[in-house]
Amino acid sequence: MDRALRRKFANQAFVVICTGAALVALAALALIMFSLLTKGVGGVDLMLFTADTPAPDSPGGLRNAIVGSILMCGVAMMIAVVIGVLAGTWLAEIGGNTPYGHVVRFLNDVLLSAPSILIGLFVYWWVVVPMGGFSGWAGAIALGILATPIVTRTTEDILNLQPNALREAGMALGASQWVTVRSIIWKAAGAGMLTGGLLGFARISGETAPLLFTALNNQFLSFDMSKPFASLPGAIYPFAMSPYETWNTLAWAGALLITLAVLGVNILGRWLARDKDHK
Amino acid sequence: MSDTDFQSVITPPPADQLVLETRNLNFYYGTHQSLFGVSMPVKRNGITALIGPSGCGKSTLLRTMNRIYDLYPGQRAEGEILVDGENILGPKVDLTSLRARVGMVFQKPTPFPMSIYDNVAFGVKLYHKKSKSQMDEVVEKALRRAALWDEVKDKLTKSGLSLSGGQQQRLCVARGIAVEPEILLLDEPASALDPISTAKLEDTLEELKRDLTIIIVTHNLQQAARLSDYTGFMYLGKMVEYGPTEELFVKPKVERTSDYIGGRFG
Repeated sequence: MDRALRRKFANQAFVVICTGAALVALAALALIMFSLLTKGVGGVDLMLFTADTPAPDSPGGLRNAIVGSILMCGVAMMIAVVIGVLAGTWLAEIGGNTPYGHVVRFLNDVLLSAPSILIGLFVYWWVVVPMGGFSGWAGAIALGILATPIVTRTTEDILNLQPNALREAGMALGASQWVTVRSIIWKAAGAGMLTGGLLGFARISGETAPLLFTALNNQFLSFDMSKPFASLPGAIYPFAMSPYETWNTLAWAGALLITLAVLGVNILGRWLARDKDHK
Repeated sequence: MSDTDFQSVITPPPADQLVLETRNLNFYYGTHQSLFGVSMPVKRNGITALIGPSGCGKSTLLRTMNRIYDLYPGQRAEGEILVDGENILGPKVDLTSLRARVGMVFQKPTPFPMSIYDNVAFGVKLYHKKSKSQMDEVVEKALRRAALWDEVKDKLTKSGLSLSGGQQQRLCVARGIAVEPEILLLDEPASALDPISTAKLEDTLEELKRDLTIIIVTHNLQQAARLSDYTGFMYLGKMVEYGPTEELFVKPKVERTSDYIGGRFG
């Protein structure tokens, strides 16, 4: 075989391997979506949103778990966005190149890959035990600690992508560093920072482990976050393991809800951050 | 003539017409020195151009005049820069009010991610509280002076990023002059623009120079010759020759200047 032919063959083979790998990944995703839809849609009815988690073999819904997840994720994201955006901004704009900055970045990366059950244990020891019991607040704090390093990291990365000329232009008009960052750099980086928040939300929305010994669970609808708190993953976990068919169906419906919520929030985020500048 | 042995000929404008003057200015990036005893007297109102090969210190010199280098730790200037007689390198200088007096436009257009109107109003808001109608006037005046008004008056609420490159650069000029500075620094403002946009920008500068001091760094010798009243030729961090543009281009006093202008090096 001459050189040119061999090169052409190698190229073709490579394209086939890459395409095959992409198809395998896509097929896995499609299968997950398919089984979620076929098994989950059957459990989606009005009762899913109006009734609380039932006793075995009786009808019911996931209202308490849905409300619990929304509240805990909401509080967690408030914690994560405030701390993460400020920390990421500090790393990118102020102290990122100091020795202390390097330490902060390193620890953030460690936190980024920490097993979520460890975060749960940490919060159990430092929040649940002193407060004297499981609570929605403890669950929200655990989820917040999980999402914070994601927001910090993406914020820093996105801010570093902004051109220095933009910072200089702000300062050259006499603006302080804070005004320049707040009203120019954050605006320019808004879409990317929003993506960071969405990544954080997607990460925590399905977390079960850190909730096991922080929020625990609650069979009834509750808005009191100082008491044990229900959540979707917290309901899916026992229901999916149980021998009761009604519980199994609810577990699939809950999994479908989480997936659709992450998808919906992502689409909403993309829509909010769409390229308005060239319209 | 060796590279370190410089002849430096400065023909200053009349002493009572100076707005800015650097005296024996040295500049360091960390330990690396990039300006050597630069003295440059700038005439009030009119255009002063800085020319010279890449890396000669033109932009560095310009960036000392509003102390924008202060953003970067390790960069420092020694000597004196007098603006209206006050040494702006002194410790008590208020950078905010200095930058209100000395504006800057950069090589690449840097519109802020906000509307055209807000871009122009941004600097003004930092210094003055104005009513909506007063601000409307300020914005319109600045856009008119920058010769951009007719092109944008119907889309002031559109993003500044939606404009063409040349329009963006004139928007940056408008933003700079909206705070009514005495001096406007321009760092190769036309290098990213096509010839037609460049011509429009030059027309704008011609208009502005009647009541504004403009200092422009340019790689384009024709542009310097066309536009400026005074020109400085820099080489290796030193001011080789400085004087009225016509003299410098027609009968330069230093051999290196005539070599550069004649295209024999650089």
